[in-house]
Amino acid sequence: MRTASRVLAVTVVASLLTATVALAHHSFAMFDKSVEKVATGTVVRWEFNVPHSWLRMNVKNPDGTETLWSFEGSAPTSLLQRGITGSTFEPGNVITVSYCPLKDGRPGGGLGWARLANGTFVNPADGGCNGSPQAIEKWKGWLKEGYTSSADALKGK
Amino acid sequence: MNLKRVLFQVALALVTIGSAPSTLFAQPGAFGGGFGPPLQTVAPPKAFATSEEHYKFLLSQAKGGTKHTLTTVPRCDGLWVTAGNTHMNMFIDTGSFAGKVRPGVLTPEYEKAYRERWRQQTELGEVQYDRLTHCEPPGYPRWLLEPYSHEFVNLPGESYFINDFGPAIRRVYINQEHKNVFGTHSWYGDTIGFWNGSTLVTHTKFLLPADFTRWSPMTSNQFESVETWQLKTYPGGVERLEVQVTFYDRYAFTKPVSAVYAFRRAKDLEAAGHRVQHWECETSNNDVVTDKGGTTSRLPGEAGFKDPRGTTLFPELPGQSRDPIYNTSLPAKKEK
Repeated sequence: MRTASRVLAVTVVASLLTATVALAHHSFAMFDKSVEKVATGTVVRWEFNVPHSWLRMNVKNPDGTETLWSFEGSAPTSLLQRGITGSTFEPGNVITVSYCPLKDGRPGGGLGWARLANGTFVNPADGGCNGSPQAIEKWKGWLKEGYTSSADALKGK
Repeated sequence: MNLKRVLFQVALALVTIGSAPSTLFAQPGAFGGGFGPPLQTVAPPKAFATSEEHYKFLLSQAKGGTKHTLTTVPRCDGLWVTAGNTHMNMFIDTGSFAGKVRPGVLTPEYEKAYRERWRQQTELGEVQYDRLTHCEPPGYPRWLLEPYSHEFVNLPGESYFINDFGPAIRRVYINQEHKNVFGTHSWYGDTIGFWNGSTLVTHTKFLLPADFTRWSPMTSNQFESVETWQLKTYPGGVERLEVQVTFYDRYAFTKPVSAVYAFRRAKDLEAAGHRVQHWECETSNNDVVTDKGGTTSRLPGEAGFKDPRGTTLFPELPGQSRDPIYNTSLPAKKEK
């Protein structure tokens, strides 16, 4: 009973803290939210800006070249409530992120969750993709199985 | 079914709800709701033909209002964030994204325009473009709903309502008449007000056409409002500023409509070291409307991309970088 109450209390607090602010100065229609992908790369810049943050990250291509990717996250006001600051991603850090790609195929997307170099997962998402604790738990399993796309993971099930 | 299992299922449901985008919620859970009891809209004491008539009635009921001094004026120190509202109930039958447009609330022209917004929201999952994308100010009434951080500063002769999108400071001129020496309307209009004890009553007019938000109706340049602001406290240390508002717009509404908006004291943000910042239009410059009326962003290296943390016009001078902490740079094409 006591354990169950603790689970409930922690969950309520966690869910309140991670509720996303999907009110933004633009529509998120540019992102394909039906697909979640995963990319690993080196942080070039973390723009901790109002009204939106942007994570710029160099991602290696199969031929060895690099492409600069841009991922849009939530506003600092929301991120601070989730423990994310302007120093969470520093240039040179190697991190992994999930994202919902731009529909037009350019190297960018709505940011979902991010896994820091020390293995910690954080949720910098806004309305462009899902970075919730639930999504993180789902992806932990998929990552273990080597998936980098929700479409592949769902197909493999 | 044992209690443990029930609690687990409740917990699971809460995680699901909490991790979903807030736009999915019915009122009053949206936009930061959930602090304090559900919000209830309070209609005006009687029907008024104009906002002016409404405001003057309240002023007369308050016998000219309370004249506060620096020591007696109610204070709302600290940071605040939005804590829910009922605005969608005015226009959508369920008050949520699962509902339909209420017929006859808006005038035929405004209802037709709104039905297209609502079609995009319900059929495509999102309104495809937001006028704020190209740095247009949110304006009023959208100011009441936008999240981010707020400060409310009350002085005997003026109140300042600050939202950190920029610049979005509403000034309330206490115990004054409206003035419009500029001879035009503006994004936040002209707001006058009076105190009735600890309740602040305001009247806003001379507004530019705006909207409630991108999935809610548009407003005209005849939009006006009467607000009553009250600070309430609830169990659990919840401090909530509740704003009962009646909106008047002879072009957009068939009759006046009312809603309640709320803000809660955000001690969690203060503990996290948050400071009120302003929106940076430099970053918004890279968000653009597509030729099909949708939204997209220019990325670094693409023609037209403007680096929000690039150097100034004087890059050779020390200290001119806008990114002194990391001194990073992004690839960009030179514009001709």
